[in-house]
Amino acid sequence: MNRALLRISVACLAMFVLLLLNMNYVQAFETTKLASEPGNIRVFDQQFTYQRGAIIADGDLTELKIAESVPVKGTDTYQRYYPYGPVYAPVTGYDTIYGKSGIEETENSLLAGTDPRLAVHNFTAMLTGKQQQGATVFLTISPTAQQAAYDALASDTNGHAAALVALNPSTGAILAMASYPTFNPNELTSFNGAKVDRIDKQLLTDPAQPLLNRAIQETYPPGSTFKIVTSSAAFSTGLVANTGTTIPAPTVLTLPNGNHLINDNGEVCGDQNPPIIQAFYMSCNTAFAGLGIRLTAPVLRRQSSLFGLNEPLNIPLPVVPSVVPEDPGWTDPSFTAMTAIGQWNDQVTPLQEAMFAAAIANHGTLMMPYLVQSVYGPGLAVIETHRPTVLSQAVSAPVASEVQAMMNQVTQNPAGTAYLTAGPPATSIVIDGKTGTAQNGINNDGLNDAVFTCFVPGTNGASPIAVGVMVQGGGYGADAAAPIAVAVIEAYMAHLDHS
Amino acid sequence: MMLLFAFAVVLLAYGAVGLGLRGKLPSGVPAYVIIFALIMLAAHVAVRRFAPYADPLLLPLAALLNGLGIVMIYRLQESGRNGNPGNQVALMTASATKLQLLYTGIGIVGMVLVLVFISEARVLQRYTYTLGAVGLVLLAIPALLPASHSVVNGAKVWIKFGGFSIQPGEFARLALAVFFAGYLVAKRDVLALAGRRVLGIDLPRARDLGPVLIAWAASLLILIFETDIGTSALFFGLFIGMLYIATQRTSWLLIGLGLFLAGTFITATFVGHVMERFTIWLHPFQGSNPTNASYQLVQGLEGMANGGFFGAGLGHGQPYFTPLVQSDFIFTAFGEELGLVGVMALLLVFGLLVQRGLRAAIAVKDPFAKLLAGGLSFVLALQVFVIVGGVSGLIPLTGVTTPFLSEGGSSLVASWILIGLLIRISDSARKPAPQPIQDEGMTQVVRAG
Repeated sequence: MNRALLRISVACLAMFVLLLLNMNYVQAFETTKLASEPGNIRVFDQQFTYQRGAIIADGDLTELKIAESVPVKGTDTYQRYYPYGPVYAPVTGYDTIYGKSGIEETENSLLAGTDPRLAVHNFTAMLTGKQQQGATVFLTISPTAQQAAYDALASDTNGHAAALVALNPSTGAILAMASYPTFNPNELTSFNGAKVDRIDKQLLTDPAQPLLNRAIQETYPPGSTFKIVTSSAAFSTGLVANTGTTIPAPTVLTLPNGNHLINDNGEVCGDQNPPIIQAFYMSCNTAFAGLGIRLTAPVLRRQSSLFGLNEPLNIPLPVVPSVVPEDPGWTDPSFTAMTAIGQWNDQVTPLQEAMFAAAIANHGTLMMPYLVQSVYGPGLAVIETHRPTVLSQAVSAPVASEVQAMMNQVTQNPAGTAYLTAGPPATSIVIDGKTGTAQNGINNDGLNDAVFTCFVPGTNGASPIAVGVMVQGGGYGADAAAPIAVAVIEAYMAHLDHS
Repeated sequence: MMLLFAFAVVLLAYGAVGLGLRGKLPSGVPAYVIIFALIMLAAHVAVRRFAPYADPLLLPLAALLNGLGIVMIYRLQESGRNGNPGNQVALMTASATKLQLLYTGIGIVGMVLVLVFISEARVLQRYTYTLGAVGLVLLAIPALLPASHSVVNGAKVWIKFGGFSIQPGEFARLALAVFFAGYLVAKRDVLALAGRRVLGIDLPRARDLGPVLIAWAASLLILIFETDIGTSALFFGLFIGMLYIATQRTSWLLIGLGLFLAGTFITATFVGHVMERFTIWLHPFQGSNPTNASYQLVQGLEGMANGGFFGAGLGHGQPYFTPLVQSDFIFTAFGEELGLVGVMALLLVFGLLVQRGLRAAIAVKDPFAKLLAGGLSFVLALQVFVIVGGVSGLIPLTGVTTPFLSEGGSSLVASWILIGLLIRISDSARKPAPQPIQDEGMTQVVRAG
């Protein structure tokens, strides 16, 4: 019988080998697939048992923790906490048991510690009995600028929806990104599913749309701020030689389709043939509409693309593309005329407004806007750090300085549209900018959107900050939007001076 | 020495559970570990006393498995209790660990009784038919009892009265192993007779097919009336394995395998419960299966995947999400908390245990003991294969316990009795032959100490 017993032994061995192979398959090769099975209750449950990495606003000298995971007493779970609540909500987003948004969503694998780049650290943590921990994400956000932006939006806009983005023109670092009305992400961090559900529903159905990050998720007509693009195209193509070149600016411009275009309030623009710089700081519609017709729509669109329009962007939050649509109506130059003054179907985000100014401020070079400066693993090892990259060369340096000279007069010339609100009467800081008052709504019967894009020219040619502001239905850009930009710039510049 | 090693592993595992759950050493541990160590020491002394030549690995290997099983039961019992993280495991009481220790004690008593009363395996040969009858009756009882006294968790394999319940199938398997061994030793020459030769395989004679068909029919009846593929497969596998060992005829293996597959196919077609098992096995993640029919299997798999290579660590996993994790699915709890490394070690311990049993079978001279040890070792391996293969998706899932690890008295006590029998047979195998009295050279030697 021993021969049979030996064979039985081999059979037993085979059974154990099969089991070993299958266990290897399940626990070594199938783990990722099984972990991503929908409804994997363990994966869902565990995201709260590890300490999620913090989010730090690192744009000032002193860093500020704006999201952290704190242990919940009496349990082994961590709950997300946002020390400044709504101030940073458009940046951080939320982290609920049901879903995430903002940086919480885009940097989730790093914050949660599941990113492959953290695998080695997690492994050693496991060997030494330490707990898995998420990486810390450092943002470019300046707490000074962000707080000033939030305060200004919440108090200076008379309840109008508004958004602001501040950039460092020479790097593309986003110094502030605010949207109003906003929400308090702490209300969504509860483990009580019913409560989260209720508040989520409340936020979603709120007509004020507090969850909408207007800075990057919504586009608005740029109005007269688009004249930056139109003039850039005019200088770049050589249609206009320099800021002193005169251009026609009739009081009434009859468009090819027979409609009449007038300047704001029917103003007379200089001697109706002013130098372009005067047409710019007075924001004469007829002058730039006429320029637009001469430039043609494809040229305007190409120039707008160089300023970053017509392309989606990830900062890493996804940004709705600002557009000058490829329009069949271009066969009629009347629409091109309206596009040139930002009143046709061109639409931009507040981020794009900031990018207009940033490109001019940085001598024509548009830097890629970004939020994540660096990511540090739990052991303080650098996992990634951002190197500024060029998004595009919007205009040549000489053209940029021509446009800058015109933007300077918007605030510094007593006849400039923003002289009273962003010029010497309002602030001691020299701010170069462009106002926009965009007619809005069906038949343009809505309230005008107030827009302002501006930057502080640096003392040594390096501009420290560029700002784009939009106040929905705010009225005049100079009155409603410019003071908000000034408030943020003053706070940020004061901080720079002290540091 | 090996036993001490087993103690050390169990003690450390206990500490790890406490640290994992509460961040400190659990308070009840010293008592549990001391009681466990005392029980195993008593078992060791009994083995030294009644089976001095026994294989020295059998007891420590089984003790290691049993100890780790208790640790895991303690860990699962504590889940969601006494301020520990996790949910409470359904159907698990706060005294599960104490009960399992009690069953361990009873199991060791059973093993010692085997060693005391069965001085040679062939003593059992006298009771071949008695035990055969006992085995059949034990198997049949749950099928005949009303559901209120025989169904636990959907399987009609229990005898349940008051708060007390046992799974007679576990003991029936042992009794039937003895019966098969006795029967086959008596009949093996006949059964080995060759009939016609077809395709290079010697077929047995048709009239000798009788016992095989009876065993097959019995296993099918279990399958149908007790809706339990696991017990049925083990029962039939035991018989075919022993038949093969006895006759060395490959044809019996093929006939047996064919009959089993045919039987399963037929029942799968007609019995919904059996068919469902196949569907779950083939498509665990399809449609609504993960939340319904295959919920348990999917939870087990996801648990093991959660453990990954090195495991979450004792007390750090979430095995409590898996239904019945304390009994049929306890292996997935080990997979989750000890990882691939841990379960490979466990499988190797099981494999080693089976291998030591088979080694005793090969070494022992008495054919009855040889057959019995071979059959018992094989059925142990088969049981591990059926349940571990089942919970890890290798084969269709059937409800059998994991020997020594699962919560529950019947399985544990029966497993210890099985170890008792293997220890007895290994003792017989390794006992030096009695000195021939006529050997003149040896009579002169005065043996000291």
